[in-house]
Amino acid sequence: MPFPPAVAWALARRMLDPEEIEAARNVNIADAGHGYDPFGLHRAFVALGVGIASPLYKRYFRVRSYGADKIPSDGPAVLACNHSGTVPVDGMMLWVDVVRHAGRVPRPIADHFVPTLPWIGTLFARSGMVGGSRGNARALLQAGQVLMIFPEGVPGIGKPFSERYRLQEWRVGHCELAIRHASPVVPVGIVGAEEQMPQISRIDIPAFGLPYIPIPATPLPLPVRYHIHYGDPIPIHRDYTPDQADDPDVVQEAAGRVKAAVQDLLERGLDQREGVFA
Amino acid sequence: MTPRGVLVTGATTPIGERLCRSLLADARIEHVLAVGLEAPESAIPFSHGERLVYRRVDLSRGRRVRNLLFGIVRDLGIECVVHLSMHRSAAQEGGRVHAQNVDALRSLLELSERHPTIKRFVFRSHAEVYQVSHELPILVTEDHPLNLGPGAPQWIRDRVEADLTACARTGLTPLQIVVLRCAEVLGPGTGSQLFDFLDAPVCLRPAGYNPMMNLLSMADAVHALELATQAPEGTIGVFNIAGRDTLPLAECIRKWGRAQIPAPGTLITPIYRLRRRLRGHDFSYGMNRRRFHYASVLEGSRACEVLGYVPEHPIDWPAE
Repeated sequence: MPFPPAVAWALARRMLDPEEIEAARNVNIADAGHGYDPFGLHRAFVALGVGIASPLYKRYFRVRSYGADKIPSDGPAVLACNHSGTVPVDGMMLWVDVVRHAGRVPRPIADHFVPTLPWIGTLFARSGMVGGSRGNARALLQAGQVLMIFPEGVPGIGKPFSERYRLQEWRVGHCELAIRHASPVVPVGIVGAEEQMPQISRIDIPAFGLPYIPIPATPLPLPVRYHIHYGDPIPIHRDYTPDQADDPDVVQEAAGRVKAAVQDLLERGLDQREGVFA
Repeated sequence: MTPRGVLVTGATTPIGERLCRSLLADARIEHVLAVGLEAPESAIPFSHGERLVYRRVDLSRGRRVRNLLFGIVRDLGIECVVHLSMHRSAAQEGGRVHAQNVDALRSLLELSERHPTIKRFVFRSHAEVYQVSHELPILVTEDHPLNLGPGAPQWIRDRVEADLTACARTGLTPLQIVVLRCAEVLGPGTGSQLFDFLDAPVCLRPAGYNPMMNLLSMADAVHALELATQAPEGTIGVFNIAGRDTLPLAECIRKWGRAQIPAPGTLITPIYRLRRRLRGHDFSYGMNRRRFHYASVLEGSRACEVLGYVPEHPIDWPAE
């Protein structure tokens, strides 16, 4: 970032309550000696990230959280979530929700192009994001961190409005990791984001580091209400042994369980909500 | 296993000199044979007794290497070779540099394998042999892809070739080859690109990027080399030697007491090229472009488990 952690703290203090600042100071990170963890995470930027996202979280999207206590309080875990919305605000809202309600800093696993984005890549790295290489995910799980994975990937963000709440191709890497590193998988269903910025078309030309240019119906995300539903942890770590991570059938079966759990959370969430903006 | 005697090549470099001092402090080591290119009268600038012997040898000449190993090395009963001699300047290239970087290592290894007294060969390799990319893991383990790109400068290519040469011979003979891939040692005379970069009062770095990097202090580098010479019998393989300091590039510039200006890469490249040409500096932005964009941090758990190496000495930051 163009400014040091002290400036990030000062900015965060203007945006957050003293209790929230104190909570950010106490989040557990693997400090490698200068306040940063080896991946670049820093508490000051966690506070700043929460501060920047809070107006969106509290007032614009008015996020409601259900069942965040299901996230393990320590040890490794994988949060597997649906992905949508043309711009990945759902990732930001989920990140803030986990920090606020679980007191842990989740590590979003982003597509490879994200670290190449100037400023954005750095800010995301300071608040916990890592590029989607297997080695990064492995190291984080071995260190007992919570991974935040969107198995639909970029195709999830770019899904047409007509396919909202229908999960796209569900990649299996998160289950392979969970099996190999004996981590539970917490399914997460985000209701609301899929209507925030209906995408009517897209131009399949890479630009500004992005794999395509979306053509949304609205210039900005609509102020839909977000509902974040956490499901019961799927005990992947008990149902399979680490050596089964190499078995494609086992991994596919585990991923199918996670996908079904997320789809179920979405359907229940849609039934419960009173309206897109309510 | 403490060797009776140790041969240190590149002994007149700052790391070599400190390693010699450290080895001499261990009374169990009977002889330290220091080898360098400098004249004997100026080579070892500290007082030492008869346990330290200095020889001026050009290791790029095979015959001289043979004479060294089957002469004084055999006579002194040297059991361990620590090979530090690599050409440090990235500005110089060509056959002579390659001979010093790669051919010398090849000769030393070949002769050490059939040597009557040498049992262990410790080669100081470099973290720069690893590839840096946004698609690769940030934490660099020993199986990380190497920088074999055709566009890599000779400084990198030679280091990769030397590293692979040592690795390829590991386990083929009873010679215990230990390759230490050390993080960048931030200090004068070490060939550190970053040290040369930080030499300027104002440092330009790519705007929008601030990657994490891991740096090694001289004291930890010497400690790791010493541990490798004394590792348990049968220890072979490649080990990452990580430093105590893991921090972003901008923090590194700040702690060094330098001003920094984030600038577009298209502007930085010609400025540093000009600086190199006009002022004879060693830093090449092209060579460091990737690691100035993407994080790359050495992971040293294998060295901890096998060699017992844990980085303990942070860098003495001037502006701290």
